[in-house]
Amino acid sequence: MYGAPPLSRLALLAPLLIAGFVLPLLLPQYFLYLGNFLMMFAVLALGLDLLLGWAGQFAFAHIAFFGIGTYATALLQIRLGVPFVIGMPLAALLAGLIGLAIGFPATRLRTVYLALATFAFAEAAQWVFNAWDKVTGGPDGLRIAAPSIFGYRVGTDPTAFPVLAIILALMIVATMYLTTSKLGRAMCAIRESEHVASASGIDVRATKAWAFAISAMYAGVAGGMYTLFQSFVNPDTFGFGQIVLLLSMIVVGGLGSIPGALIGVALLGLLPEVMRTTMRGLLIWQELVYGLILIGAVMFMPRGIWGFIAGRRGSR
Amino acid sequence: MSPLLLQGVASGIVTGCVYALIALSLVIVYKSSDVINFAGGEMVMLGGYLGMFALLWLGLPYILIFPFAALVIFVIGALFDRVVLTRVVGRAVPGQSILVAMIIGTVGLSYVLKGAVRVIPYTEEVRRLPPFSSGAPIFIGPVVLQHQDIAIVVAAVAIMAALWAFFSFTLIGKALRATSQNPRAAALVGIPVRLMSMTAWGLAAALAGVAGILLAPKLLITPDMGVIVILALAAAIIGGFVSLPGCVAGGIVLGVVQNLIGLYVSSRAISLAPFLVIMIVLLLRPQGLFAGKAVAKKV
Repeated sequence: MYGAPPLSRLALLAPLLIAGFVLPLLLPQYFLYLGNFLMMFAVLALGLDLLLGWAGQFAFAHIAFFGIGTYATALLQIRLGVPFVIGMPLAALLAGLIGLAIGFPATRLRTVYLALATFAFAEAAQWVFNAWDKVTGGPDGLRIAAPSIFGYRVGTDPTAFPVLAIILALMIVATMYLTTSKLGRAMCAIRESEHVASASGIDVRATKAWAFAISAMYAGVAGGMYTLFQSFVNPDTFGFGQIVLLLSMIVVGGLGSIPGALIGVALLGLLPEVMRTTMRGLLIWQELVYGLILIGAVMFMPRGIWGFIAGRRGSR
Repeated sequence: MSPLLLQGVASGIVTGCVYALIALSLVIVYKSSDVINFAGGEMVMLGGYLGMFALLWLGLPYILIFPFAALVIFVIGALFDRVVLTRVVGRAVPGQSILVAMIIGTVGLSYVLKGAVRVIPYTEEVRRLPPFSSGAPIFIGPVVLQHQDIAIVVAAVAIMAALWAFFSFTLIGKALRATSQNPRAAALVGIPVRLMSMTAWGLAAALAGVAGILLAPKLLITPDMGVIVILALAAAIIGGFVSLPGCVAGGIVLGVVQNLIGLYVSSRAISLAPFLVIMIVLLLRPQGLFAGKAVAKKV
């Protein structure tokens, strides 16, 4: 698919926006919290999918950029009084710049080595969040002031819900444009074969570095989203478990597709909730079941759920 | 050299030996399947628990819990390769990195193992295995060594020597090496490649399990003790990630460096050390600290 996405695709986002404004009136707070959480994870997953699913670069650093975005947005607001609408883009930019700084040296590495180097970066970043306690509050965490957007006070689940829905919709549109752009196609080409890509005149290193930076910016935006509905952040939020969850989401949903990432987020994000309610008293089995689902997904649905559905419909 | 420094080096070597064993497990898997085994840490954890169950419930003598745990975990590792990985690789989608699916598979295994252990009510409390041998600590000059520490080093060195002999002299060991170097050529000369892959996974899993028993008296056994795999990853990377002797050297270097950082910098910095080591080594010397020149892996 080339050029701008057709309007019919963009129209698919209308239900998301409508739900963003209607659901806060209908649902209890806990469901809204869950919805906020899923929308934030959806932006994270879209960003990671750009790097992993589209550009084929296996990197583990995503959650570190998420942390950078969260702390940067929160600190800009608390320390310097920068409003959210300026603070979040700045935080995303910062995450993107650090992503670029990591991306350039990291693009020398391939496959397992890239995974390991970025994994180490993520762990080191979490260590910094813990150790730099004068700024981040260390393990005790940081209290986030409730942000306001043009006078609209956010900070609770119902008030944040429409804002998060708008941000998610914008990020989905951005992803649609990006993946059909020249850069997006260059990323796919690199995923298929770096040699062929560079023989066709694609600057492989620059494209990879861009993929890193853009993916990190998505994580920075998700970090900003976090400050909208959470009043507290501590370094545990950005641990190894989160990156595994995120990876599982896009792999189970289907790599390299927007619906795949969204399906994966919804499914694995809701799974613990479903298990908590249906397996009451069997909660201890949760980890085991989760592991079996991951193994089953890679064994039986190599293209993920979306690939499975699309394959059935014969549209791929 | 100050006594403090000597003591730090000595106990660094002890922990380093265990890191080395786990690193060997990771590298054997990597050489066989080109994947990082993220369940490696959980295999260590499982080894510790199996050892404890065998000791307390089955009443096995201490020396027999090693083969018992090794055997059980060998089977788990081999089955995982045969049942899960073979299928994942067999259903590879063109243009999509098979590595991601395989890694998610090992992550799934790590959850399964952790979950399976957590289901056993006995594991709710933190446990510790009794030491293999106790007695008055031994003084070598200014350095104090516990019996336990010496037992760990002796066991680790014995296992490494056995591994070296296995890979150098036995037919299976040579076949494993051949399969790792070039699976297609190995298949052409009649090596059962699939069986070799299962053996490599089983062997690696058993190694991790034995390392778990060695660690169990020193550390607390909990279902979450698998995080130790990060240290083993760092050790393997220092050694270049494809070299078995490199792992041993890398493990010991890491153990000693950690202790020295704890002594001279700060105890908080200890946990950062492995990640800094991973990043610096990968960016500056991806071939590891000990390899002569960079070896490009065949595509």
